[in-house]
Amino acid sequence: MKYGISKALVLAAGCLLFSNFALAHHGVSGYDVEKVIQVSGTVTSFNWSNPHCLIHLDVKDSDGSDKDWIIELAAPTLMARFGWTKDSMKPGDTVIAQTHPARNGATTGLSGFASELLKFVVNGHELPSH
Amino acid sequence: MPNSRMRLIIALLAISVFPFALHAQAAAPGSPAKKQNTSSVSRVPDFSGAWAIPGGASYDPDDPRGNTLEKLPMTPWALAKLRAARPGFGANATFEAVNDPVQKFCDPPGVTRMWMYPWNFSFIQTPDVVYILYEWMGFWRPVALNRKHPKSPDSTWMGDAIGWYEGDEFVVDTVGFNDKTWLDQVGHPHSDQLHLIERFRRVDHDTLEITLTFDDPKAYKQPFTSKRTFKFSTAPAEVTHCSVTEMQSFDDEVMKTTTQTPKK
Repeated sequence: MKYGISKALVLAAGCLLFSNFALAHHGVSGYDVEKVIQVSGTVTSFNWSNPHCLIHLDVKDSDGSDKDWIIELAAPTLMARFGWTKDSMKPGDTVIAQTHPARNGATTGLSGFASELLKFVVNGHELPSH
Repeated sequence: MPNSRMRLIIALLAISVFPFALHAQAAAPGSPAKKQNTSSVSRVPDFSGAWAIPGGASYDPDDPRGNTLEKLPMTPWALAKLRAARPGFGANATFEAVNDPVQKFCDPPGVTRMWMYPWNFSFIQTPDVVYILYEWMGFWRPVALNRKHPKSPDSTWMGDAIGWYEGDEFVVDTVGFNDKTWLDQVGHPHSDQLHLIERFRRVDHDTLEITLTFDDPKAYKQPFTSKRTFKFSTAPAEVTHCSVTEMQSFDDEVMKTTTQTPKK
């Protein structure tokens, strides 16, 4: 893997249960929801707003340069029900995140929607997941 | 204690309790002075609390995930509408270039599609109107309990809703929809002739079931029925707004990035 991705995990087939349900304001077909990868990086911004909370991470590429990864989460109301807040992370924090990667190879991933929130470890502490 | 003093104490106690007795009587369910249909008021089902809507895709009862479309008994008009839709979900899902009016313009999802948006809703039950409150965009529907539909209702986003109680069910009868919304998340259409019947039933304390009957002769050759189930929620109520500028910003930042070929 190219972008500071320590390992790729193949999610159980149960994830297929969610692939067609309306769990975001848009569909998820742009992401490979049957696959989970792990991305490690430094938070450059954490946007707690509609329609989806977004995390920007600087992730080291194989050549040592930083690549901007965008991690998409659910809307703030739904994230709050998982136990997150707008202060769950901040610029400069170190994050290890699980995410469903974009199908086109872009440095974007989907990590949270209405019924699923993948694992995040921020500065060594695990945030609520679902 | 002298009898006169005892009688005074008893009288004072009676006077202090009397107003509460009056209030309790006035507030008692089924009080004839308050209700029109006293025979059913004492059995008004309680839908209080917040209810969580799970995600959903299609109202086809045989294919709720919308994996195979064009199975509902659609008229040619409806079939053309379905084929023109570019939704984000179901068999015809697309990530880019959707023409979903909610995603593109923050249009109201409409009554039937709202039951697939994964936010909470609540009821406020009053003797004359039941209000259904949705977290999504703060939409709300008044369901009138003491009148009939207007002879010529306006065509509106939420329609004209009347309702009544039947045993443990709350029945909502809605007409007067415009045709600007999709029936569900996979793009099934409805027309302005849709006559929607929703039957709400609290199965147990934590479970609310709704049975929807869609009668829309312009769109479907025969009525059909589908069900949704909601779970009791203790989450505090919050309104989620849909902003066109926020949607456009998200589209530029994430959707386009995830659909265009990345630069090497």
